[in-house]
Amino acid sequence: MWARVTLLTIAVSLAFAVAPAFGQKFKPPEGPTPRTADGKPDLSGVWDLPYVPDMSKTNGNQHGVAELPLTEWGQSQWKNYHPEDGDYTGACLPFGLVRSINSPMPMQIVQNSKYISMNFEVDNWFLIVPIDGRKHRDQVATWAGDSVGHWEGDTLVIDTENFNGRTRLDTIGHPHSDQLHVIQRWTRTDLGHIAVEMTIDDPKTYTKPWKNTRTFTLRPDWEIMEYSCEENNKSLWEGRIKVPKY
Amino acid sequence: MRLKIASYLLVIGAAAVPALAHHSFAAEFDGKKTVKLEGTLTKLEWTNPHIWIYVDVKDESGTPVKWQCEGGPPNTLTRNGWTKDSLKIGDQVTIEGWLAKDGSKTCNARSVKLPSGQAVFAGSSNNEYK
Repeated sequence: MWARVTLLTIAVSLAFAVAPAFGQKFKPPEGPTPRTADGKPDLSGVWDLPYVPDMSKTNGNQHGVAELPLTEWGQSQWKNYHPEDGDYTGACLPFGLVRSINSPMPMQIVQNSKYISMNFEVDNWFLIVPIDGRKHRDQVATWAGDSVGHWEGDTLVIDTENFNGRTRLDTIGHPHSDQLHVIQRWTRTDLGHIAVEMTIDDPKTYTKPWKNTRTFTLRPDWEIMEYSCEENNKSLWEGRIKVPKY
Repeated sequence: MRLKIASYLLVIGAAAVPALAHHSFAAEFDGKKTVKLEGTLTKLEWTNPHIWIYVDVKDESGTPVKWQCEGGPPNTLTRNGWTKDSLKIGDQVTIEGWLAKDGSKTCNARSVKLPSGQAVFAGSSNNEYK
């Protein structure tokens, strides 16, 4: 585990060091929080998501918890995770909710009074969340879980449960179980930003709930592009990536 | 254009692991085994989920050996100003990266440079690790 963490830390740190060498720093638009006709904050737009390969780290505007409170079962899942034995993302299986939001690719939000749609560029997945206050649906557990939203003042609270437990939270592989419950609080603080607080509550994997915060940045100059994991996934076809056995 | 392979205990200059956009780097590549390839571009696949760069690298006897290296996702590269025409067949390139764990002549490219020293496709690491 130490080697994995160290390698990732070095890679991320050095990349930050070279970042200014490429292009000019983007300045997000300024202005007040836009609102829909019914007076709610309008979260619509293409958003640059901070890449979060390791939720225990803090990088840029993303703040993690250094010591994740793993249970004994969680420790076992973390210690025995070897992506070379099976990598579900490399095999083009769904990233799941948290890892999609942790991905380095943008997301477009489309919103009306009843629904909000997260349109992820990563593998072009989408997630439609009712935000009219309805309860969770009774359905088969899924990769992305079942999400419902409601407004608490100007904050959209998205509550997700009923995961199938087959995903990982982040690229480095922090575990979760099918008991995962994710609570996200999204607040569009101004025209150019959404402040995000994500709570991970999974009593099978973690001894207590823990939080991760980050900021989405508006990119009016971007559009979501096609991204097909299956198009030329040589790594899988040539056997270097394996499909996990669930 | 000799094949140069070196292994290090720590990854030095590990500024880019483009594969992370799609999958776990460790699933396929060995961060402890770096490679430097100097060769001739024979093919470029500008495709999702990652671009692939194919080069002929002469071994010590002068025989061309075929290598393939994974680059960043085309979307990220496009947003950083690169196109499929940023390299042309026949270009002499120097690729530095990490070897695949399976021992095949496959690498994950962290840098691709032309003889002038100009870096190509360098934007992927910048964007993915912002």
